[in-house]
Order: sequence, then C-alpha cells, then structure tokens
Amino acid sequence: MIGIKQFRINKMKKIILSLLLGGVVLTSCKKEEVTPEEIVTPTTESKVQIDSKTTISNKTVTLFADNTNLYTGANNLYVKVTDASGAAITNAMVMYMPMMQMTSMSHTCPVENPMYSSTLGMYKGLAVFIMSSDSGTWTLEVGVDGESVIFDLNVIESDTKMVGAYTGTDGITYFISLLRPVNWTVGMNDIEILIHKRESMMSFPSVNDFDVVMTPEMISMGHGSPNNVSPVFVSNGHYQGTVNYTMTGDWRLHFELSQNSTVIHSDAYLDILF
Amino acid sequence: MKIISCLIISCAVFYSLAQSDTSVVKNMLLEEVVIREVSFDGIKDQFKNNTQEHLLTDKMLENMSSVTLIKRGNYAQEPTIRGLNAGQINTTIDGMQMFGACTDRMDPISSYVEPINLESISLATGPNGSQFGSGIGGGLNFKLNKAKLNQKYVISGIAGVGFESNSNAFRFLGGIQISKKRFALQVNSIYREANDYYAGNRQKIDFSAYEKWNISGNAIFAVNTQNSIVLDYLQDDGRNIGYPALTMDVSFANAKAGAISHVLKRSGKTFYALETKVYYNYIDHAMDDTKRPAELVPMHMDMPGTSQTFGFYSNSDWRFGQNHFAKIKVNGYQNDLHAEMTMYPKAGKEMFMLTIPDTRRSILGLDVSDKWLVNKKVSLEYGGRVEVSRSEITTLMGRQTMTSFYNDDLVKDNLIWSAFLQSNYKINKQFSLHSGAARASRNPTLQEQYGFYLFNRMDNYDYLGNPDLKTETSWNFNLGASYSSKRVYVEAKLFAYFFSNYIAGLKLDDYSAMTIGASGVKQYSNLNSAVLTGFEVTGNYQLLKSLQFNTSNSFSYGEDGSHAALPFIPPFRSVNQLIYNLKGFKFNVEYIAAARQGHVDFERYGDSKSREFHIMNAGVSKSFKVNRFSYIIRFSANNIFDRVYFEHLDLMRISRQGRSFELNFTFGF
Repeated sequence: MIGIKQFRINKMKKIILSLLLGGVVLTSCKKEEVTPEEIVTPTTESKVQIDSKTTISNKTVTLFADNTNLYTGANNLYVKVTDASGAAITNAMVMYMPMMQMTSMSHTCPVENPMYSSTLGMYKGLAVFIMSSDSGTWTLEVGVDGESVIFDLNVIESDTKMVGAYTGTDGITYFISLLRPVNWTVGMNDIEILIHKRESMMSFPSVNDFDVVMTPEMISMGHGSPNNVSPVFVSNGHYQGTVNYTMTGDWRLHFELSQNSTVIHSDAYLDILF
Repeated sequence: MKIISCLIISCAVFYSLAQSDTSVVKNMLLEEVVIREVSFDGIKDQFKNNTQEHLLTDKMLENMSSVTLIKRGNYAQEPTIRGLNAGQINTTIDGMQMFGACTDRMDPISSYVEPINLESISLATGPNGSQFGSGIGGGLNFKLNKAKLNQKYVISGIAGVGFESNSNAFRFLGGIQISKKRFALQVNSIYREANDYYAGNRQKIDFSAYEKWNISGNAIFAVNTQNSIVLDYLQDDGRNIGYPALTMDVSFANAKAGAISHVLKRSGKTFYALETKVYYNYIDHAMDDTKRPAELVPMHMDMPGTSQTFGFYSNSDWRFGQNHFAKIKVNGYQNDLHAEMTMYPKAGKEMFMLTIPDTRRSILGLDVSDKWLVNKKVSLEYGGRVEVSRSEITTLMGRQTMTSFYNDDLVKDNLIWSAFLQSNYKINKQFSLHSGAARASRNPTLQEQYGFYLFNRMDNYDYLGNPDLKTETSWNFNLGASYSSKRVYVEAKLFAYFFSNYIAGLKLDDYSAMTIGASGVKQYSNLNSAVLTGFEVTGNYQLLKSLQFNTSNSFSYGEDGSHAALPFIPPFRSVNQLIYNLKGFKFNVEYIAAARQGHVDFERYGDSKSREFHIMNAGVSKSFKVNRFSYIIRFSANNIFDRVYFEHLDLMRISRQGRSFELNFTFGF
C-alpha cells in the first residue's frame, strides 16, 4: 500500500513539475508509450527431462515433457535420440506406445506419433492420458528404428477435467481433450481440442468428421460468454476455435458433438480454471 | 478521527474568538447572499445563504428549477438538468473536471462537495460562454469558497451543529478565515452522520445510513495589485453509505482534489482578466455487500474503482470598446478510470474481471465567446467550442478484456464542436424577450465506450460499451419572456433539444447476462434521433414588504425517434415558497408537488410510471447579533403531513423521507 501511495505521490510530483516546466500541456496529442505485450510463448529450451534410456545398439533415448509432471489429458512428449558417440539422430523412425497396466487388464490411450522438429532438436509427439497413475501403472514404450525402450510414467490427475470420456448415441466411447499448453487470458483465446474414439483397448484413432458446437459457461454464476468460435476440424483429430473468457474463474466448456447432422453427444464438457 | 478533526477546527474557532476584538461588522463566512441571478441565456447561480451550510448539496440542487435528482439512497443523489444526465451534462468543481469512480453511478461528483465548501453553484442549460467543457444540456459548476483578503478582522469563523430527527442525523461544522493584506486562508470542515431514515407512516428504509467527513482549504497570496496565486484543496471521505435502491452499499468513497491557480486582474484594460489553473484529483471508491443479509446476497463481491484526473484551464476576459465582452478559454485534462470486480462463489475459485478496463481520455478544448451589447434594447451572446479528444485503454489486461466483444483499434480520436447564439430584446422597462439556438455535442462517456458488463439497476440489464459510438449532437432552441417590476418578477421559458445519434442501450439478444438475476445484455448504441422539450416558469412576488412568494415550475417531455418515452424525464414539478420576515425571525412555508409521470417506456428503458405527490415543509429561523458575534438558530419541519411519496427519478421507487424535524445552530464571528 505504502509503495502505491508513494508511487502516486511521486507521479503527482512529476506531473506538477512537468506542468510547471510547461512540458506536458498537450498530452492529448502525445502518443502513449505502449509497454511491449507480454506474449507468453512456450520456450523451446524449457522442456523438462523425464528420464533417459539406452537401447541395445547403444542409442540414448531421452524423454522430455512440458512440465515436471504429466497430467491426465493431452501431454506433449518429446524424445531426443543420440547415437553411441553422442551425435543427434534426426531421421529415425520413432513410435510411441503408452500402456496402462491395471490389475485385470491393460490398455493404451490416444497417441500421436512423433515427428522430428529441427527447431526443437527433438521428436515431438503427444499422448492423451485418460486416467491417472492411481488406477495402475503407465508406461511409455518408445520405438526407435525397430528397437525400443520403456519408460515408467507417473501421471497425475489434472486439477480440472482436461479429458472426458463420453459414450455417443452410436455406442462408441469418444475422448475429448484440450491441447496443452494453455496460457489463458481474459478475453479471446485460441483453443485447440482433440477428439479420439476407442476402437479397442489397443486402438484409439482420431475422429476427423465431427461438427462441434462449443458453449462456455461460468459454472459458479451460470452465465456464458459471447462471440465464441466453435472449434472446427484441422487435421488428425485436432479442432481449432476461439473461446471468450469474460472473467477469470471456473469455466466449463460444453461441446455438442455431431456427425453428418446426427448428434453423437449433446453435452461433453471440459473444465478450465485460471 | 474525523470527529476529532472537526472538533479541533471548532475549538480553533472558539479560541480565536476569545482573542479577537468585538466591534460590530458583518461576519465574513456568514455573508448572506440569497440572490438568484437569472441571466438571459439560462445561466443561473444559486448562491448559498447563511443557513445552507447544514444542508446536503443534494437539497440545494433540488431547489434549482431545472434540476431533478436521481435518487439511489439518502445521500449522493445524481443531478439531472431537465432530465439530461451523466455524459449529457458537464459537471465541474471550480472548473476542475472530475469523474465519479463508481460503475453504478453511486458517486456523482456533487457528492464530494458540501455547501460549506461552496460560494455558488452555477447552472447552464446548453452551450454558453461560462462552462468548462462540452455537454448537450449545459452543466453545473460548483464554485468553491475563496478566502478574502484585507477583511476588517484578521480572524473570523463559524461553528455549527445540527440535528435531524427522521434519520437521527448529526452534523458538526466549522470554518475559519485568516485575512491579511496580501494573504488570506480559509479552512472549513463538516462531519455528518445519519442512520437509516423512515419514509411516511414510519416505514424504515434499510441500508440508507451514511457517514462522511469533508475538509476544504483555500489560500490566496497577493503578489502585487494585479497578480495573485490561489491554492485549493478539497478532501471528502464518505463511509458506510447505504444505497437502498441498489444491491450493494459503499464502504468508502474518498476524493482528494488540489489546484494551484494564477489570477491576473487589470481593470480598465482591453485584456482585463486571466485565470490559469492546474489541478489534480483522485477518487477511490469501493462497493460493499457485507452489511446486507446473507440471503439477499447470492454471491459476495468486491467492486472497487478509481478515477484520477489532472488538467488545466486558462480563462481570459477581454473588453473591446464599450460593447464587446469576450472570453477566450483553453482547457485540457486527462482522466483515467479503473473499475474491477472480484466475485467469491460459495464453492469454487473467485472470479475476477475489469468492468472499466483501464480507460483513459485526454481532451484539449478551445472556447471563444462574446457578449455584444448591440444597443440599449438588444444584446447578443455568441460563441463556440472545439475539442479534440483521444480515448484509449492503457493496460494489456484492459485490451484483452475488450477482445471479448471488439476487435478493432481501441484508440479513438474525436473532434467535436458546439456553437451558440443567444439574443435578448428589451421591449420596455418591464418586458424582455429572449431566444437562442445552439448546436451542442458530446463525447460518449468512457463507460458508454468501454464499459464491460456494467449492471444498470433501472432496467435490470448488463451494459456493454461500444467503442464505435458516434458523437451525440443536438440542436437546442429556447424562447422566453420575462416581466419585471418593483414587486414582481416572472419568467417563462420554452425549450427543445433535437438530438442526433442519441446514445441509449439496445438489447443484444444472443448475449447472456453476467450479473446474477439480470434480464440480459444491452449495448450502448446511437439512436437516429430523439427530442426533449418542455417549459419552465419561475417568479417571485413581493406581497408585502416582509412577505415574499417564490415559485418555480418545470416540465419536460422526451421521446426517441421511434416515439418511445425517454428515461429520467421529470414530470411537471412545482416548488412554491412563502417567506415572511418579522423582527429577526424568518418564517418559510414550502409546498412541493409533482404530477404523475405516465409517459414511460418500460420495454426499452426500464422506466416505470410514478404517482403524483404533494408535500409541505415549514421552518423558522432567528438570527441575532451580539457585538461581532452572530447566532442563527433554525428549526424546520419537512414533509409535515408524513406523506409516503417518491419522485419519478427515484430508482426502485423507494419512498423518500417522512416527517422530520431539524434543528440547526450556527455561530459566527
């Protein structure tokens, strides 16, 4: 408080001083100095190393993520592959195979196999963890040119519902998840969601032909927000749109999913908190 | 704390009283100026008289014929001029631009001045040469008291105490002046406290209490015979102010204003006066719902807001020959508004939003006007103003907030102008005719331009600003006649305002309301046209040497281009007063009445009908002098018949005060 008051007094002193000097009479004509907008882009260097393994042929496979922890929902997963001499291998054929080992059964989850990114110097892919490690043991098998290593993963439950499983009117279970990372601000935000379906316990392909209607709701007040752009299909199960948060707080994004004008699910939702 | 300060001032008054000598002279701070100056173009100065220090500023405004108040509580009522309000009128304190910080219009700047601070209130009903900015319907300027140089007594002062029975209200006031040849200082202060009031039939109006403390100071240094330097400071701290018509109260409303001016006076010269002032003011305001019963508060909220303005003006007065009196004025200011809201749900995380997203307006204006005494019968006053302005948002979060509904450039530059011509024709000694035309314009307010879900209790809608609003303009016409003789003065006036781009809220159908319980969302938009018309008749009649009758009557009628009745339009209203003087006693009886207002449009503006009312007030005051001391005691009874009534502009139709008795004592030396 004192700091603010002091600031104000200083500011007032400055104002009076400059007015006395005849400096700032025509402020209305002076363009205000605009502070550079703090656009938060995910920094490519700031990936967090999860673990490192060595293949039979002495290749080192290092797994990275955006955060120290992996959470339920969509997570970017990065691997760096080096040969025995430590030189980076940039043209390997890399595959992800996440697996949840439960007491009675095991299953995988939606996954996007990695592609090499020269800006990152790593292979970037993605997995949508549909449950946390509380239910069993998550592992990620990374295949590199026919060899493979297995990482143990610890997936923590997200603070809010970042992935939802919904059974459609066609009897199929669909998974809707929010692409991370997210840097929400009040106002308009780009949003990208992923839609997958469960074909079998070992196959969760992307769904590319849905029409999505998105309706945000401030759940503790019951109101929505105007001017949202519902996500539309881009590629490979990804749908992009624009969401409007008129305030901070607990937001719920409702999605009506339909296929060829048939409603598959009328109220799939994800929860946002910022 | 505040009481103590007031007491200290009062003590100082008494102390200095004991020190000073005791010959008979008029007390400086009690100068009785009960004059209503009516000039031909509708500028009025309502001077305070010696019992008005005890009144609320609201009460003084209420007695002005073109002014009606929007009432949200027993305190801080918002003045309208012929029904024109908010951005349509230009309200200033001693020429200083100041803007309320509350998003619910709880703090019109008239609430930050007290009659004890004031020398006069001047009212204009359209553009003219005496204002400090742009407005459609003129404006109000609250002229602050100035310390006076070279008085007979170096030290003089007043002290007073008052009590009002209905709301158990107390006030303590004090003022002191030090007057030397080249230096003068005046400080005055008032403390008020009121509990919940009772409407007619002893119906208690909950959440209508208030408490406030105000201090103002003025110092003058005469550098030489022509030049002087003037310092002004005003501070007003409101606490726990109840607003029964709204869903929240106010925990504090604090204003601080300071100014330094240079005054040049050169009698007999062409360029005969110049006043230049630099000022700064800051308002800090916070709404409060913690005093309301929990079942009435669906969700606790904090809603603070701030407003700060710094600016200057320079007014010069010129005389060309015998017949031309010209004024040239330059003024500029920058106003920053910030309002935010944090909501605390019973479960879940708190929510935060900006409701006025850090907006700024900078203005520079030039006014030129001339009063031309054409001949003995005809005089003309004409002039104009141009104003450039820039409106913008100063923070990243503010700009991001606006992306919710607006994608274009948020910086808006505007140029507006106004012009007026007013003529006065003296037919003979008794009769004169006045007529005038003006073209007026105003910028949208920052709330109208950038407001973000501002809840309007009147129509129960959330309002969104509109950065693309066009300048609201109007053509104003007036026609009047007056008769004046030794005993009678009567003036009748017709007026009309023809608006273009009238700013009003229009429904946005696909938007959902943010406020819990609100009916929907409206956005400020320009309506093609609107008309406001009406008349005013004022008069006074000296029935006997010691008996005077005053009357003031007004009527307004407004509709927009689609014939929907405009909101906040007062119906026919009449204030009549008999004043009788007898041996130092002054009796007054007042009759106030208003007709019903049935010309409303609930659908579009949320305005509802109101009933007629008649109330009677009466008072007696006695003033006497012993040596250089003067004493004034005033007793009055308001709403004698304990009528249950409200005025048309009262929000939520909450009844006004029932019968109340008031006792004031003022001591001066």
